[in-house]
Amino acid sequence: GYREDEGLYLESDADEQLLIYLPFTQVVKLHSIVVKGPEEEGPKTVKLFSNREHMGFSNVNDFPPSDTAVLTPDNLKGKPVVLKFVKFQNVRSLTIFIEDNQSDSEVTKVNKIALFGTTVETTDMKGLKKIEDNH
Amino acid sequence: MVLEATLICIDNSEWMRNGDYAPSRFQAQTEAANLICGAKTQLNPENTVGVMTMAGKGVRVLVTPTSDLGKILACMHGLEIGGELNLAAGIQVAQLALKHRQNKKQQQRIIVFVGSPIKHEKKVLEMIGRKLKKNSVALDIVNFGEDDEGNTEKLEALLAAVNNNDSSHLVHVPPGPNALSDVLLSTPIFTGDGEGGSGFAAAAAAAAASGASGYEFGVDPNLDPELALALRVSMEEERARQEAAAKRAAEEAAKKEKQGEQQSSSQDVTMTDQDSVPASEADDKKKTTKHDEGLLQEAIAMSSTPSYPSGRDTNMSEVAEDDPELALALQLSMQDGTKDAPSHSDMSQLLADQAFVSSILASLPGVDPEDPSVKDVLTSMQNQSEPQEKKDEDKVSKEEEEKK
Repeated sequence: GYREDEGLYLESDADEQLLIYLPFTQVVKLHSIVVKGPEEEGPKTVKLFSNREHMGFSNVNDFPPSDTAVLTPDNLKGKPVVLKFVKFQNVRSLTIFIEDNQSDSEVTKVNKIALFGTTVETTDMKGLKKIEDNH
Repeated sequence: MVLEATLICIDNSEWMRNGDYAPSRFQAQTEAANLICGAKTQLNPENTVGVMTMAGKGVRVLVTPTSDLGKILACMHGLEIGGELNLAAGIQVAQLALKHRQNKKQQQRIIVFVGSPIKHEKKVLEMIGRKLKKNSVALDIVNFGEDDEGNTEKLEALLAAVNNNDSSHLVHVPPGPNALSDVLLSTPIFTGDGEGGSGFAAAAAAAAASGASGYEFGVDPNLDPELALALRVSMEEERARQEAAAKRAAEEAAKKEKQGEQQSSSQDVTMTDQDSVPASEADDKKKTTKHDEGLLQEAIAMSSTPSYPSGRDTNMSEVAEDDPELALALQLSMQDGTKDAPSHSDMSQLLADQAFVSSILASLPGVDPEDPSVKDVLTSMQNQSEPQEKKDEDKVSKEEEEKK
């Protein structure tokens, strides 16, 4: 469907850097990530920050990333990048900072971002039974 | 009610000695900067404003963003003029100062005054603009003084690079009789992208145009109908009281020599009103001003003809000084009340009335009743106003009914 459409992409605005913030609705563990993009303007250096809200371009260099990935053209075609699992055990939100692109052009383009992982053991609300009154 | 941290960048280069903006470019700038500080803090009490200079010995931050108006106004004094404008460094330092603001929740805004040639290339400015956009900093540019194309082009490129959803603006202020601050009042810089800032702007505009323009009591009936109503009611009570007092005092007032001055001064009031029309924006304001013009014509007509109803209160100098509008409305209401009274010509009343008119006009700043050109216009107006008198009276009394 449209998710695989090459014509649809995310493009950077003022310069070649991109900052994407993904909050999750529950706590997850991340295993790997896929970033697809065009060969020329696709991302190269990608830094991942877990559990950091409200990051801006100004404070992006203020703390070390949870993991860094340098993408190859293979990755851009869909080959997953395996992450340091230990760093992503308890992720509520993920910030993806794309620092530069393959051809050092003014604009970076991203077609697709896919995250692979599992959920953390949490309370299953459906399993809770209502306690009878008069207890 | 946007929460904002603003940094105002003042151009204090040598070019500011120029007097093409009265009294000098630098003074006009500081006045405008003061107005901006007031407006921003009024919009939201948690807003902060800072001030820095871009020329002189070098780029310098005078006040870091604070909500303390006193500190800001104090630092504007004793600023030295000199050196050359360094726009690029100025904006970058401003961005840095905003980055380290105390309340990270505030939106960042830079207001730059540019009144001298920019020595940087367009490309440099565009890059700076893009950096500002990336860090979501809005930029307002006030371009005054320099009319050359180079500056305008560069500033437009800068604005295009920064602008994100129309949050940034570029305002050109040509040299002229209007003060820099007055022109700025009507721009989006003050009206805050069409939000609540217009209340402050409206009040300031009314004050700036000597209270003759704007809403009837300086309060917008749309923004605050209860207040406007309360003001109107108390005004009418005051009028009634003063009418009685004035009638007693009317017998004593009689100054023959002021006759000519009265007539020329009345014309001045009309002209001042017409000048203040451009300052006001909303349609309501324009309607009120036209109403005033009608009243004024009425007043002039009444003062120029010998036959008009008696019982008019004449010596209202104290009231007139406070509010020429009030005085005129007073006149009108009395004319309404005594329409049925026998019209007899009373010289003392006529002159006293003119004394009253002249006292209004004496209180208006910048009005010179002795000016010959003013007198000429007035006499020509008089010739027109007499046949119109009847028409005006009906029109004015009808408007009075509608107002009530």
